[in-house]
Amino acid sequence: MCDASTKDLGRCLCVITGASKGFGRSLAQQMPCVLQTGSVMLLVARTARLLQELKAELDTHVLLVHCVEADLGTAEGVNKTVEVAKKENVNDFDHVLLINNAGSLGAISQFSSFTDLAEVNAYISFNISSALALTAGLLQAFPQRPGLRRTVVNMSSVLAHQPLPLWVLYSTAKAARDMMFKVLAKEEPNVKVLNYSPGPVDTEMQREIFQQTGVSRELLPCQKPGAKLLKLLLDSDFCSGTHLDFLDL
Amino acid sequence: MQGERGRGIALCIITGASRGFGRTVAKELSLRVKPGSAFVLVARSESELQTLRAELAESDAGRAGLEVRYVATDLGLTEGLEKVTKAVQEAASELIEHVLLVNNAGKSPVFTEMAEVNSYLSFNVSSVLCLTARILQAFPQRPGLRRTIVNISSLCALKPFPSWVLYCAGKAARDMIFKVLAEEQPDLRVLSYAPGPLDTDMQLEARSKSGDATLRKSFNEMFTRGQLVSCEESCNKLTKLLMEDSYTSGAHIDFYDI
Repeated sequence: MCDASTKDLGRCLCVITGASKGFGRSLAQQMPCVLQTGSVMLLVARTARLLQELKAELDTHVLLVHCVEADLGTAEGVNKTVEVAKKENVNDFDHVLLINNAGSLGAISQFSSFTDLAEVNAYISFNISSALALTAGLLQAFPQRPGLRRTVVNMSSVLAHQPLPLWVLYSTAKAARDMMFKVLAKEEPNVKVLNYSPGPVDTEMQREIFQQTGVSRELLPCQKPGAKLLKLLLDSDFCSGTHLDFLDL
Repeated sequence: MQGERGRGIALCIITGASRGFGRTVAKELSLRVKPGSAFVLVARSESELQTLRAELAESDAGRAGLEVRYVATDLGLTEGLEKVTKAVQEAASELIEHVLLVNNAGKSPVFTEMAEVNSYLSFNVSSVLCLTARILQAFPQRPGLRRTIVNISSLCALKPFPSWVLYCAGKAARDMIFKVLAEEQPDLRVLSYAPGPLDTDMQLEARSKSGDATLRKSFNEMFTRGQLVSCEESCNKLTKLLMEDSYTSGAHIDFYDI
C-alpha cells in the first residue's frame, strides 16, 4: 500500500481525465497515497460504470471521489467537468492538480487517407481542444491566491517531437499539446506545468496500436511511469513547461 | 540552378491568396512559371480574388497564357475543401510537370471556448492536412511529375509566446504534419517556411490586439522601427529556396536563416 513517507501533494483538488482505463486509472489508484485527508479527486471519462467500479476500489477515508461522466470531445463534456469542480470550495484546498490524460489513438494510416475534415476535426476536438478548454476553464475557476499551488500535467509522448510515417494524427495532436502547455508555462509563472511522456505503457491503446500496425513491443506496467510521475510532482523541482520522458529518467 | 522560367509547366495552388503574403506569392510565382501553367487561388473574399485574377490576366504572364482560377470559400468547412479539390482537378492536365501547393491561409485566434478553438483548428490545422491529402490523392506520384508542398510556418511553431496559445499550437501542429509527410513520402518535396514578421493585416491585428502587453509593445516597436519584413522580400527568399530546391524535405526554414 502507501509507504510511510511524509511527503504529499497537500489538501488537493485533483482532476484526472481518461480515468476509467489504462494509465489514468492506474494513476487514480496510486494518487490517494500522496493526497492529504480532505482532498477531492474528480475522475472523468465517458463510461460511468467503469468510473464507479474504480471509485469502489479506492480508499475513501482519506478523500472524496466524484465520478464525472463526460465526453471531453464536446463542449458539454468540458463544461460539465468544470462545473462539477466549481462546486468545491476553493478555500478547502492548498493544491489544484489537473492531469490531462484522456486521449485517443486515431487512425494510423497513410497521409493521403486523411481527406475527411469531419474525422480530423473530431480527433482534434478530443485530443487538442478539450485539453485547452478544460485547463483554461479550471484555471479560471481556481485563480491564483496566496497559499494555493496549481499544477497542470499533459500526458505527452515521444511522438510529440518525433515524426513517424503513418502517425500524422497522433503526432500532430501531441506536438500541439506540448506547445500549448509550454505557452501556458510562459504565461502563468505561478502554474507548474509538466509535459510527461510515460513510455510505452501496457494499456488498451497499445493493443489498438498492435491491431492497426502489427507492431508489438515490450510494454511497461502502468505503475512504474505512474509512480515516477507522482515523484516528480512531489519533488516539484522540474522546470515549468518542460517535457520529461519516463524512459530518460 | 534552374533557368529563368523556373519550374516548368506548373499547377500552383495557393491558399489565403487574397491578401498579405499569399497574394505576393501568387504574383511572384506567376513570373516563374512557363506558359500553359495554371493557378488555383483560394481565399474567403471573392472580390479580392477577382481583383487579383484580373491583375494576373493583365500581366505578362497572363498574356503569355497563364490560366488563373479562384475559389472563394472557407477551408475550415468540408464544402470548401470539396470546391477546391474540384477546381484543382479541372485545372489539371497531362502537361503539368510540377504541382505546387502553398498552405498559406491562416488566422489569428481570439478565444479559448471549445467552439472557437475547434473552428480555429479546423481552419488552421485540419484543413491543411485534408487539403494536402486530397491534392496528393489527385496527383499521385508518376515519372516526370514533381510535387512540392509548402507550409507557411512561423517562429511560433518552435517557440512559445504568452497570449498566443492557439496560434503557437496550430503552427507547431502544422510543422509536425509536414515533418511526418516528409518522412512518409521521400519523393515529395516538403518545406515549412517561416516568413518572418510580415507587414500585413495579421501583424496589424497582433500589434493592436495581442493579450500580452509586453508582446504588443514589442510588435509595435518592430513596426515603428521599420523592422517588419515586406512580403516581397520574404517571398523572394521563399522563391529562391524553391528554385534552388536543395532544402532537406520536412525542414523548417526561417526568413532570418537564409
